Amino acid sequence: MSLEEIIKDTKAYYCLGCGVCTSSCPVARVIPSFSPRLLVEKALFGFGDEIISDKDLWSCLICGRCASRCPSGVDYLNFVREMRMEALSKGKEGLLAHDGILNTIMELQSLNLKQDRNFWITDDLEVADAGEYFYFVGCLPYFDLVFGEGGLCDVGIRSIERARNTVRILNKIGIKPVVSNNERCCGHDLLWNGDLEGFKRLAELNLKTIKESGAKKVICVCPEGYVTLKRDYPRFLGEQDIEVIQLCQILADELREGKLKFLENASVDYKKVTFHDPCSLGRIAEIYEEPREIISSIPGIELVEMERNRVDAVCCGTSGWVNCSGCSKKIQTERLKEAEETGADALITACPKCEIHLNCAKYNADLKIRIKDITDLVAESLA
Amino acid sequence: MESEEIKIGVYVCHCGINIGSTVDVEQVRDSVSELPNVSISRDFKYMCSDPGQALIRKDIEERGLNRVVVAACSPRMHEPTFRKTIQQAGLNPYCVEIANIREQCSWVHEDKADATDKAVKLVCSAVAKASLLEPLEEKEVEIAPRALVIGAGIAGIQASLDIADAGFQVYLVEREPSIGGHMAQLDKTFPTLDCSACIMTPKMVEVERHPNIELLTYSKVIEVGGYIGNFNVKVKKKPRYINMDRCTGCGLCAEACRLKGRITSEFDVGMGKRSASYIPFPYAVPSKYTIDAEHCLFLTKGKCGKSPACKDACTADAVEFEQKEEIVELDIGTIVVATGFDLFDATEKPEYGYGLYDNVLSGLEFERLVSSSGPTQGKIAIGGKDPKDVVFVQCVGSRDKSVGNEYCSRVCCMYTAKQAYLIHEKLPDARLTIFYIDIRAFGKGFEEFYDRVREEGVRYIRGNVSEIIKKGDRLLVMAEDTLLGEPIDVEADLVVLATGIVPRADVRELMNLLKISQSPDGFLLEAHPKLRPVDTASDGIYIAGCCQGPKDIPDTVAQAKGAASSAMTKMSQGKVKVEAIIASVDPFICRGCGRCVEACEYGAPELQEAEPGILVSEVNDSLCKGCGACAVACPCRAISMKHFKNEQIFSQIEAVI
Amino acid sequence: MNKGFEPNIVGFACNWCSYAGADLAGTSRIKYPPNIKIIRVMCTGRVTPAFILKSFQNGADGVLVAGCHPGDCHYIAGNLKCEKIMDVVKRLVGILGIGKERLRLEWVSASEGGRFADVVTEFTEQVRELGPLSGKSQG
Ligand SMILES: Cc1cc2nc3c(=O)[nH]c(=O)nc-3n(C[C@H](O)[C@H](O)[C@H](O)COP(=O)(O)OP(=O)(O)OC[C@H]3O[C@@H](n4cnc5c(N)ncnc54)[C@H](O)[C@@H]3O)c2cc1C
Ligand code: SF4
Ligand code: SF4
Ligand code: SF4
Ligand code: SF4
Ligand code: FES
Repeated sequence: MSLEEIIKDTKAYYCLGCGVCTSSCPVARVIPSFSPRLLVEKALFGFGDEIISDKDLWSCLICGRCASRCPSGVDYLNFVREMRMEALSKGKEGLLAHDGILNTIMELQSLNLKQDRNFWITDDLEVADAGEYFYFVGCLPYFDLVFGEGGLCDVGIRSIERARNTVRILNKIGIKPVVSNNERCCGHDLLWNGDLEGFKRLAELNLKTIKESGAKKVICVCPEGYVTLKRDYPRFLGEQDIEVIQLCQILADELREGKLKFLENASVDYKKVTFHDPCSLGRIAEIYEEPREIISSIPGIELVEMERNRVDAVCCGTSGWVNCSGCSKKIQTERLKEAEETGADALITACPKCEIHLNCAKYNADLKIRIKDITDLVAESLA
Repeated sequence: MESEEIKIGVYVCHCGINIGSTVDVEQVRDSVSELPNVSISRDFKYMCSDPGQALIRKDIEERGLNRVVVAACSPRMHEPTFRKTIQQAGLNPYCVEIANIREQCSWVHEDKADATDKAVKLVCSAVAKASLLEPLEEKEVEIAPRALVIGAGIAGIQASLDIADAGFQVYLVEREPSIGGHMAQLDKTFPTLDCSACIMTPKMVEVERHPNIELLTYSKVIEVGGYIGNFNVKVKKKPRYINMDRCTGCGLCAEACRLKGRITSEFDVGMGKRSASYIPFPYAVPSKYTIDAEHCLFLTKGKCGKSPACKDACTADAVEFEQKEEIVELDIGTIVVATGFDLFDATEKPEYGYGLYDNVLSGLEFERLVSSSGPTQGKIAIGGKDPKDVVFVQCVGSRDKSVGNEYCSRVCCMYTAKQAYLIHEKLPDARLTIFYIDIRAFGKGFEEFYDRVREEGVRYIRGNVSEIIKKGDRLLVMAEDTLLGEPIDVEADLVVLATGIVPRADVRELMNLLKISQSPDGFLLEAHPKLRPVDTASDGIYIAGCCQGPKDIPDTVAQAKGAASSAMTKMSQGKVKVEAIIASVDPFICRGCGRCVEACEYGAPELQEAEPGILVSEVNDSLCKGCGACAVACPCRAISMKHFKNEQIFSQIEAVI
Repeated sequence: MNKGFEPNIVGFACNWCSYAGADLAGTSRIKYPPNIKIIRVMCTGRVTPAFILKSFQNGADGVLVAGCHPGDCHYIAGNLKCEKIMDVVKRLVGILGIGKERLRLEWVSASEGGRFADVVTEFTEQVRELGPLSGKSQG
């Protein structure tokens, strides 16, 4: 894509130079030289080369705070994505955290390898090879090996319990989902890191797998997977005959219909909690109230809000495993402190990556607040 | 920098026919000539020869090459050579990369096509890395001309004297009130039977008088920071409650002490008694008294009669109860560790009755018993009578997996022979029996001494004692005579256990302090068991004597001289080169998680508070050894491992496949 | 493929033991298959999981990591750290479908030239048996 095309595609020419984006940006608060406004202006002045050699191009979190407030509707996220594509084509990339293994794991999934990713399915879980619902597990099995106990970068989590709990919940409400060993990474990070081709390879493989299972509905738990399947698959691969649903939506429906029941005084461990909106679930997918409804209806739990919530929520500090740094840590620490200030004893999130990054920030830091995933919380509270 | 255009010269060596006969050198030369950044590729008969090196230098000068790839023998062979070559031509020595096409190609493969193919890939890989090589800086740090010696047994004493004689300042830290260590407790020494005190006292006095030695007794090293050349050391001096300048060593205080004869003497290993104000042994250095705060009535109860008896007795007005502990800070260039050993605690082998029967002694107790300066003035009497039968049991706590000591203590065979001989000298009629598994008489004069002892009629029985029980007022020692293959019981009035040498109980504390390691036997670990026996993994820290492993006095002294010489060599160089291939942290990327600190064996990375609440790791160049473990542990790639950066290795991976 | 399958093997060897052991195999003229290409690192403790995954991604059919025997690491315990990491990486390549058998960790000392050659020969055969990794190497 030429610079002109990028400007056109993302309506960057509408930029008023007002700076709302920069002052909304959590990265700019930590790295003063980082400015979404300047990046757009540089493009308008034709300094495309400068943008693509700037390593801060990779510091943007794709959190969408800027775009959600931009008075001119500049599509900043796609502006960054397309600039990254350009940079990548010139052999420039961001600094990949964990020496890039997570990104390599994604790329390796587009090869024709027979994975063994379903090792976590235990006998008590009811899953199928074909059926109406497809549970899109995402990268949980890989996250578990990298960030789980004894993993390469142990941050003290158990991602794989998320998958088990999801199936447990679905079984409880009468769904026996398809779980496929052929599922691949959704491609979110490749897409937003500028590797459109890699993204498409993964997307095609996933669509083929889903279709082969006969499923018409795909249930996602990971918000990034959700927005990728729902929004980006159609955008880059054409309309698909599948419905993509986020687990919170199903759960909220079931709750409203009284089909989902929690134990009396279900929560003993958590009394007062606060909810951290993952960027993709909140600002991107605009699913704000469902998780709150779910949490509030668990007996024994009080939900309190952080200062910055819903559309104003702040990112968990890292995205796409790129340019994770001291800046990310500051954003994370600040977010966790904000949660502590509510007096909550746990921060509830709904994204496996938020869970990882925020727990990572707790490593050797003096932060007491616990981090809990909403799916785990629900599964543990079910009657 | 990024703007600099990379120009690589590739030189493929025939190594006579060593490479040329299995690898088609010309083909290798031609297949890499078109690679990106390669500006010239050549082949030559012997690259390491003078003309070969001259060729490289000429190309650097004439063609402006800034990176060089030599495809030849192993980098372990000639990397230093070629580093020098390019340095002579004005390049940074780290701008050369070697492709090993001899040891790892032409010499191990037969098929010429295959070997050539592999050689090409190895050269491609080297070119890929060379394109990304960065000049590295070789830094130097100054070495303070001051040594710290920890422990003043014979090892520490000898090391201190050598270093001080060479003109360097020495701080000798000893935790007991006197220097001397275990050797001071011995009576006579095998195999020559010199009196231990006679050969040791002059050295101890010399230490005290030496203008370059500052003696810090009754002291402990509590903190060691920094690195070779610049260790920052803190030493805690315990209060002696006696003014060292005023005390004349007359001993009136000890005579007067209300606890006189009521406190167990450590030096006499429980065989004798002392006062609360004491000097460990008559020829102690310094010859000054110490008031033992653990027992002294005034210091424990706040009251000693109407007024402290020692204070009243001292005519030099040296007793000072108001003394406080003192912290001394030192800037040190090198450190010698000579903390010695602990004696094996024979109660760990309850079947021997040690601690239960008064007439079962440890080897060291016997040394005190037989010593003319000991509690009995050298008289060996059991229950007031001369023992008629004495049994010695060897290998107590050594070569014994049941107590976790697999190793041989190396001195017990000989000290047992010596002790038997000493009894024989004093009580010629006593019947002496030694139980042994093997006799290890490996040292100079040892076998001869062993023969001499046997000639005096000492009975050696091959077999390990299983049990010692009481029989009337005597002891019954039970074993199997393995040479005859029959059980044997021997009655004894006195049993001496040849208790072995074990690591100091507090060795871990010392290891943490100095960041050095221990070997599986628990003693301090040398850098190489054969070639670097006095060095440790930490530069500038050396080990000597029994802290490194059991040994006798001659070996201890030899090792002490070795350690002293290593320390002196470094200090006389005045400077050390710091490893250039080290880790470095990008402070903006670092998340301050401390995983690098956990990964590093050398304490090189340290978390610093960059702004309030923000931690950032910093690698100490002088401590880093360049292993790369921290770079692997770092989650966000804040650490780059110079010369083995991720990008460099990724590019090699791509090129080699 | 007419000619039999020739696996592509990347080796990571530590400078102090295994790289020296490989050199010794050379000096002793012990033959082994040419499929392995060694990349030198100072210590196996430097081998980050990404080196392994990148090797497979670039088309390696097998990866061998070789370091000092436990207790002999030049940097005290780099090899043990590596062993811990490799256990996880093996599981990782297992679930990725690459297969644990394609990744090997071996201890080879500087004096074990013969053993180095044996390990390489045996591993090359093992990978040959496994066939090509259906990644990039298939073309
Ligand atoms: C019973 C017996 C008999 C022996 N007989 C003979 C013999 O006849 N001939 C012979 O050649 N060898 C003999 N040996 C061996 C001999 O004792 C040793 O070789 C020698 O004492 C070792 O000296 P060293 O300086 O290494 O240790 P040590 O003598 O143990 O000295 C170490 C010193 O360091 C001090 N120290 C320890 N830790 C610290 C610390 N953290 N801070 C400050 N100071 C510290 C100690 O107080 C001590 O003064 C015998 C050994 C034993 C057990
Ligand atoms: S998307 Fe988020 S991180 Fe990126 S520029 Fe906008 S506000 Fe900043
Ligand atoms: S915040 Fe996330 S990306 Fe960054 S180091 Fe931690 S786990 Fe890795
Ligand atoms: S490279 Fe090794 S020695 Fe250097 S700081 Fe890192 S872990 Fe420590
Ligand atoms: S491991 Fe990396 S991020 Fe963590 S403190 Fe060390 S350098 Fe910083
Ligand atoms: S140096 Fe060989 S494994 Fe560490």
